Amino acid sequence: MIAEIDVRAVLSRSVCEFHNDLVTRSTGRAVRSGIEAHLREHPDVTVVVLDFSAVRVLDCSCADEIVAQLLLRSAPGAAQGRGTYFLVRGLDEVHADQIDEVLRRHGLTLVAEERGGAKRLLGWATDPMRAAWERVASHGSALAEELATELAWPVEVARRALDDLAGHRLVMRSDAHYLPLTAA
Amino acid sequence: MTALVEVPASFDDRAFEQLASALAAIQEPGRVLMDAHAAEWASPFGLVSLLCAGQAVRDRLGSKPLLTVPADKDVATYWARTGFFVEAEELFEIHGSVPRVKQPPESTVLLEVTPVRVAGDVHKVVDRIQERAAAILNTELGLEAKATLSFGMALSEACQNIVEHAGTGGWVAVHAYTWRRRLGKRVVVIAVADPGVGFRHTLEPTAAKRYGDRWGDGAALEAALIQGVSRFREPGRGAGFRGIRKYLDRWEGKISIRSGTARIALIRDWDEDVPLREGLAAFPGAQLQLVIPAGTPEAR
Repeated sequence: MIAEIDVRAVLSRSVCEFHNDLVTRSTGRAVRSGIEAHLREHPDVTVVVLDFSAVRVLDCSCADEIVAQLLLRSAPGAAQGRGTYFLVRGLDEVHADQIDEVLRRHGLTLVAEERGGAKRLLGWATDPMRAAWERVASHGSALAEELATELAWPVEVARRALDDLAGHRLVMRSDAHYLPLTAA
Repeated sequence: MTALVEVPASFDDRAFEQLASALAAIQEPGRVLMDAHAAEWASPFGLVSLLCAGQAVRDRLGSKPLLTVPADKDVATYWARTGFFVEAEELFEIHGSVPRVKQPPESTVLLEVTPVRVAGDVHKVVDRIQERAAAILNTELGLEAKATLSFGMALSEACQNIVEHAGTGGWVAVHAYTWRRRLGKRVVVIAVADPGVGFRHTLEPTAAKRYGDRWGDGAALEAALIQGVSRFREPGRGAGFRGIRKYLDRWEGKISIRSGTARIALIRDWDEDVPLREGLAAFPGAQLQLVIPAGTPEAR
């Protein structure tokens, strides 16, 4: 099941209805706690779309507490992690810069849909991961063999890139197929 | 006995050193008079640093220092319009007449001297800038709408240093004016200052060992601004200054930070500053200044 969460609305509920901006660490922690509480109430949610459309200013500290910490704490190996897939939506260029910066510091990656609708990876990723993700996103699914042929890679290289994407929860794996999150 | 400390006539980040040296030279316990009667102009850095000086003296000597109001009526009115006296009342015994003023709708004071103690204060500061100053930043300085959002980010990160690290409150002020001699164009200047523990104290547990004998106020500033070191060890920490630097890189802006006995600056071609100065007069806390020159959007 996919859940779409309006981050600005969580800010209103969790911190103050008059705040328009996602700034400061304490605000980020409160917003993240609000999102985590929502997810605890909905254990069937596997894909979460964080919508930043209504957010005005986002600073690095707040982006770190919300986005990076959500990814870290929901990873399958984390104490309460259940392997949730996250996407971000409605980012403007400035928001994307902040999120990209904090994700790189943690070695994390995330699929982002910008306000114009274009999708891209934010944060850290190898070149093969980025190339493989582009193909999965544009084709709607991929097999390692197809990707290897298209990019003239050895099959093992293509499979490793796709597995890395799946390991970072940037695509979903269904048998031998790798699927973009939005098509899942 | 009362020690006299003269407030420089043109009081900016450079002239601040005169004030810091005079304060550091005071040995005898007693009263301090900060004499601003001859003041002709003060930058936002000068104003928020003067508040820091007032708090530092009060905390050190146990009594409020005296402060004379600028004799020039226009100067005193400008200081009043910046909100300086509202904050100064708590820290100084003020001598002289403080003008009553209203903020004109199109003021060069984009943000009055505003206290920053908790995260909620940072929200108020960013909100006020976005609501009131976005149009001025856009029309007067040629900053695009998205640049005003980044401006809010840089302002927020600068203020958060107080909340997260100072161990006390501080102040922020933002003004727009023309730098005739240094740059020949309009600039926006953000000044954030606190009289707290300073960068060296904050970063000692995480960074001192790495610097060995070099460790000091200058090394601490270098660790924070250049290396992105934080007192917290998590990898996500210390990103604030990196975000500020990226923003300044895009707009040819400048940052300088003074803490303890050192001052660091990331300088530009248009500037004649030096990257690092050490051995300055000791002054508590951290005083930060961001300067963003008017943009030429087509060139960005």
